[in-house]
Amino acid sequence: MLGSACGSVDSSSKAEAKSTKLSCPSNWRPGWQKLANRIDAPVYCPAWIPDPLTAQIGGRWSTGVSVGKDRSYLAGFIWFEKGSEIHVNLRGYPGRTTIPKCRNDEQAGGKRIKTFIPCFADAKKPRTVAGYRVTLYTVNRDADQWHLLYAWRRNGSLYTLSEHVAPPFGYQRVVQNLGHMMRSLVLVQPQ
Amino acid sequence: MPRLTRRELLAGAAAGAVAGGALYELVDRLGQTPSRAAAAGFPKEQHVLDGLRVVTDDGIEVLVPPLHHRIVTAKLRVDGDKASLISAQKELARVLDSIEEGREPTPAGIGVTAAWGLPYFDRFVPKQAAAHIPVDLRATRGKGRTIKALTPSIRFPSDPRDVILEANDVAFLVRSDDNEAVVDAGKKLLALGFLEPTSVRAGFAGGGFEGGMSLPKRMAVAAGIPGADLVPHTSELFLGFTSTQKAGLGPTRIANLETLGYTNGKGGYFDGGTHMALSHIFEDLEAWYLTFDFRDRVDTTFDPGMKAKPGAQTLAQGPRQVASVHKVKRKFHKTGMIGHSASLQTTSRLLEDTRGSDGTLYRKGTAIPHRADFNTLDNPFAWSSEPEADAMSDEPAAGVHFVVFNPTSDDFRRNRMAMDGVLPDGTRLPFQRGARGQGLNSVLKTTHRQNFLVPPRRHRSFPLVELPA
Repeated sequence: MLGSACGSVDSSSKAEAKSTKLSCPSNWRPGWQKLANRIDAPVYCPAWIPDPLTAQIGGRWSTGVSVGKDRSYLAGFIWFEKGSEIHVNLRGYPGRTTIPKCRNDEQAGGKRIKTFIPCFADAKKPRTVAGYRVTLYTVNRDADQWHLLYAWRRNGSLYTLSEHVAPPFGYQRVVQNLGHMMRSLVLVQPQ
Repeated sequence: MPRLTRRELLAGAAAGAVAGGALYELVDRLGQTPSRAAAAGFPKEQHVLDGLRVVTDDGIEVLVPPLHHRIVTAKLRVDGDKASLISAQKELARVLDSIEEGREPTPAGIGVTAAWGLPYFDRFVPKQAAAHIPVDLRATRGKGRTIKALTPSIRFPSDPRDVILEANDVAFLVRSDDNEAVVDAGKKLLALGFLEPTSVRAGFAGGGFEGGMSLPKRMAVAAGIPGADLVPHTSELFLGFTSTQKAGLGPTRIANLETLGYTNGKGGYFDGGTHMALSHIFEDLEAWYLTFDFRDRVDTTFDPGMKAKPGAQTLAQGPRQVASVHKVKRKFHKTGMIGHSASLQTTSRLLEDTRGSDGTLYRKGTAIPHRADFNTLDNPFAWSSEPEADAMSDEPAAGVHFVVFNPTSDDFRRNRMAMDGVLPDGTRLPFQRGARGQGLNSVLKTTHRQNFLVPPRRHRSFPLVELPA
């Protein structure tokens, strides 16, 4: 049910058509290709990312890639200086479209209460951005906390793109950045 | 060129702030003035505002508060001799009368409340105050010593260590749908020669009950407040929920000093009066909307597990929703959370049917506090005589000027402690300051507090000075 709030790739495949015209910058491509091969599923390389970040996995601003047992991945890029932060995450969940669950701990006195809650919550009405049918989630957990997050589905898999709302970027600018990144996504197939 | 006195300088600057500046002028442009019922004349209470319109939102009755609010706090520069005090009493009474002249005691007209702080009573009328300020019978029984209805404000467990406990002589709360009336009232008060202003506080309230974007949302967006874009479009307040449910607010006279018999004030000098707690609280909208999802916000604003339609803003707060101490404790141990409303209800609702001194039968579960809070973009005030001490900034900031009328200081203290998980049976839920399980409380930061006594209308100007010491 949670997954039903998520968008999907426009059936007209406008997004993919656009994606084929764009290209993942040459020095970024190897990292994304390696990731696609590792999880044996397509991944999205953003051809544009807010300055000064680059989407080069393993590059200066990369926080690395983590891949789960279920082949889901998280690729992050962060710039931090003098109280300002630009942080972008890209995720993919091959073979699943439901919203993943995150562990939540609350303290009640000396007792720790552990629950599992949706990692992405407070979904807004789905809309089309750059040909992708996306859902904006405004309350997100773990590495996506304080981020605005777009989620969409493609061929039975869930993908997300998120950016931290923090100086120098407020809500409106982060929404603009997400739109810009969505328009620049390039699908990288496993080889 | 004549030199201005300190008082004249401060009053001049404060009068400029009463107008509120360009930001608050937006309230008139952005707000829709609600239609109001007429009133039957000025009641004996100062805090009672008639003509509040009732609308239905999601099937729940909601009171529509006045649009414009100002608070002026001040210290008094009056000689302590009786003649000077009587003269000042007459002058203030005349000004208060002139503010109300030709207006009704409704939001369409004007509501003025003069509230007096402990410094006033201690400095100018200590003996009369000792004799006439009612005794809080319930607190006295509990403490085993005499506790008055008005006591000094305290720092509560969730307050920051640097919260300022203020020492104003007097505070004037002015409320109306008519901004000009509010500004005019503020200017008239500030023109009084014996009033040395310490702060001017400004704000607004008003839901999107008529449809369209609510005033707080519009104001927050216009001011570029972080998180403003995430405030629901029709929300009555910044935090996304309606707080003026009719069943959740004390009936007008229940908060009188004498109504519930909490004090010995019946038939006394202050009969028809009440207690007012005033504080300023910052609200971190971005943290609220980016780290608490709707379910969390309902759980911690109202009650963990409370049923709510997705996106609902107005939730029932009637006697059937009242939480008991047992229920609050049980849910805390199960979820690690407390609901702001649920914890408050353990002290703020009647535990049994009660016949008030006004003859009204107040049913079990009825709310006692009578709230008059409003949102603000002050940081923390529109103007301060001590800008450094008050940490004044020109940058707008989301917050609330919290104003609540309770029968006594101790009654307010009980409510506020319950909000921090200190329940009336003595249980202290083991929260750390700012713990996420406190939800709403964790995004609030109180900057200033003070308690005041609100005399009845007949004694609203310099109470007690006419009596022999």
